[in-house]
Amino acid sequence: MILTQILKTLATCILVISFLLVTVSAYQQYRSISALAELSDATSAIVIRLSVEELAYVDNDGKLHMYALDPAKLDNLQTRQLIGGENYDFQVSMSYEAGGEHILGPYGSAPLDDRARCSLAVACALYENGRFLPAKLSVIAWCA
Amino acid sequence: MVRLDDRGVADILAIAFMFVMLVLAAVFMHTYSLRPLRAATDRQLELKSEHLYMTLELAWVEPYSVSFLHAAAENLLLKQPTVPELHLRSAMENVLEYLCPPGYAVTVSLSYDDSSWEPSWPEGVGLGMDAKKQFVREGEVRLTMTGGEKIAVLVTVRIFKIAGV
Repeated sequence: MILTQILKTLATCILVISFLLVTVSAYQQYRSISALAELSDATSAIVIRLSVEELAYVDNDGKLHMYALDPAKLDNLQTRQLIGGENYDFQVSMSYEAGGEHILGPYGSAPLDDRARCSLAVACALYENGRFLPAKLSVIAWCA
Repeated sequence: MVRLDDRGVADILAIAFMFVMLVLAAVFMHTYSLRPLRAATDRQLELKSEHLYMTLELAWVEPYSVSFLHAAAENLLLKQPTVPELHLRSAMENVLEYLCPPGYAVTVSLSYDDSSWEPSWPEGVGLGMDAKKQFVREGEVRLTMTGGEKIAVLVTVRIFKIAGV
């Protein structure tokens, strides 16, 4: 009888400990996933800034063409941005098809191996030699 | 017949119930914790849909100096558009194939009155109106006709998950 009670108590303890472990592991997973979601949003913010502001083509009249990117601006691009109080580094490249795929870049330092990184590729128009070509803007971002 | 007020059986039932609760709680907590990542992925796809629309509005159909959406609107309304239909169809197919996010399908729908043009990639994937997850960007292309009349063609760019991928 005592042995049965000991076994029941033991089983209850194991269940309580398992529950606590599951809760802690779920919390840790939630935190790491929230950090990844934050990184994903930061990458989106970087892409928006690049396509509507920093890489956007400016014509001779000084008019800014959002979503039309000027590859000449890639050389002077600052590849660190402050988003939500956090610094993010990123690597950027552009690609387009003209008798085969052409890739411009990558620009910026290589991603660090020990950091979580997020990559995002969006469509954009690329201004080259007086023409607007369909292209892709790819960004890989990580927390600095 | 086992009596539930039997102390031994009641204890075992309590432990079994706790075990079931443990499994359910684990499944629930781990499923719930993935929600922020799914939401972030959806926001990225919204962004891709917006960029795809703007790209089609700005990028030219080579070798013409007319944007994809403008050329498509002309094809819908004019008898003699700047870009011939066959050339536009092929160019649109190529550009959608190049810009379509992997694992997703994309459709571009232009409509005016009863006429419409709906290229998509991959071919024959449909319009994706019933897709569970779809990321839509709507807008319009305005054309000025020879009589000075301005016509707005409705444009919808839709990115959606291909079933089974």
